[in-house]
Amino acid sequence: MYGFDAISANNGWFIAATGVSMVFIGLIVLTLIISQLHNVLALMEKLTAKPEVIPETKPTIRVPPPDPSDVETTARVFTPLIEELPSEFQLSELYALAKEYHLPHPHLSIRCLIENGTLQPLGEGVFIFIPSCEE
Amino acid sequence: MEMILEIIESTGFANASVSSLVMMAIALFLLYLGIAKRYEPLLLVPISFGMLLVNFPLSPLMLSPDNGQPGGLLYYLYMGIELGIYPPLIFLGIGALTDFGPLISNPKTLLLGAAAQVGIFITFLGALAFGFSPQEAGAIGIIGGADGPTAIYLTSMMAPHLLGAVSVAAYSYMALVPIIQPPIMRALTTKKERAVVMEELREVSKTEKILFPIVVILITGLFLPAALPLLGMLMLGNLFRECGVTDRLSKASQNELNNIIVIFLGLTVGAKASAEYFLTIQTIQIIVLGLVAFAIGTASGVLMGKLMYKLTGGKVNPLIGAAGVSAVPMAARVCQTVGREANPSNFLLMYAMGPNVAGVIGSAIAAGIFLALLN
Repeated sequence: MYGFDAISANNGWFIAATGVSMVFIGLIVLTLIISQLHNVLALMEKLTAKPEVIPETKPTIRVPPPDPSDVETTARVFTPLIEELPSEFQLSELYALAKEYHLPHPHLSIRCLIENGTLQPLGEGVFIFIPSCEE
Repeated sequence: MEMILEIIESTGFANASVSSLVMMAIALFLLYLGIAKRYEPLLLVPISFGMLLVNFPLSPLMLSPDNGQPGGLLYYLYMGIELGIYPPLIFLGIGALTDFGPLISNPKTLLLGAAAQVGIFITFLGALAFGFSPQEAGAIGIIGGADGPTAIYLTSMMAPHLLGAVSVAAYSYMALVPIIQPPIMRALTTKKERAVVMEELREVSKTEKILFPIVVILITGLFLPAALPLLGMLMLGNLFRECGVTDRLSKASQNELNNIIVIFLGLTVGAKASAEYFLTIQTIQIIVLGLVAFAIGTASGVLMGKLMYKLTGGKVNPLIGAAGVSAVPMAARVCQTVGREANPSNFLLMYAMGPNVAGVIGSAIAAGIFLALLN
């Protein structure tokens, strides 16, 4: 059998029409899904993103930049820092704290406090704060 | 004296027939095309050599086991085709070699890949009209997909006796893409359309590339399980490539495994082209119908491109529709060449790669449809 008769006898028209339709349907579905893939990913990223964490920073002590030679002001500025430390402390600890609080001239200020006697050496690098010197 | 006569009788000279000599001549001609003209040499050389080996008079290479004697080497290697093993493994390599980025970036090009498969089904009708059985007609129609492994897979499942003719026709037309496609592309488009410069493709994220093979296989696997052997391997290969944690598997799929399978596949496909199956009127009909399939596939792709050109207000260059027939990356290169003739500053290659890889998916789906409906 040849020609249109053969096509009809073998369900050719139906198979060809079904085949073309299935290829198109399959690829149209794929097109739709893939075209939305980046949008879905963006949405998921948005939903799963952790809320922005603002790094907790210790508040900067807002004081007028002390003149290291002004012992009274310097001692007042350093008092809250020293209160965070044990009664006997290493100078390096005080220095680190002063840097953390962004105090100006920490080296000069601490030296001034030592010379003034506000910070008294106990030996082996350990110091103690003498508030009376402040007043 | 008797021994000498026996020896003479056991030579190829004494047993040569005209048909086997003709087949050997055809094999040598294909070998020439592969080596000298570089027409798909990686496949045409092993195919033509397999054809040569099996057409020697008294060739033992394709003999099946008999009387306790083992079969020929190519008989056993052919099991890889008969059992449907080699084509999916080739698809694994293709998946590992393919960047689906241009397709993900511009998914509507999948429709161009779909349109280019129309040639398969029209040729299926043509083959039925020529008197082929539905299974044979499906195997012939799939030549229009211009996808060698798919054509071999479908033919081995539905009409193994046509394997030689179908594969030779498929690979010949794939090699002749630069000659067959341009006249059709020029005839169906105006110079203005060919000169269209397309918008830049958006960048595709790594996550999208990883999700793509998974999404495709989930959809096509549920939609058409018969396409799973080919598409499953294609997507697995692509996942190896994109996931970033299987570099060794990706490289093995792209290189060692792919090369070994190409050798086995080529040799055994050629070995199936023996005179009794190949030198027939059917072979000539298959070669003519294959050309028709290929031409219609190209034309329907370009026509879909023209439709998209109209619908998008001239943003799509219709030439890229021609790349919807698989033939990766040759068809995309042809689009680039024809596009530059109309606009020398145009660069269509990346845009044509979208429909080109969509064609691979489309032809695998078409093969799955034939398997589901006809097998």
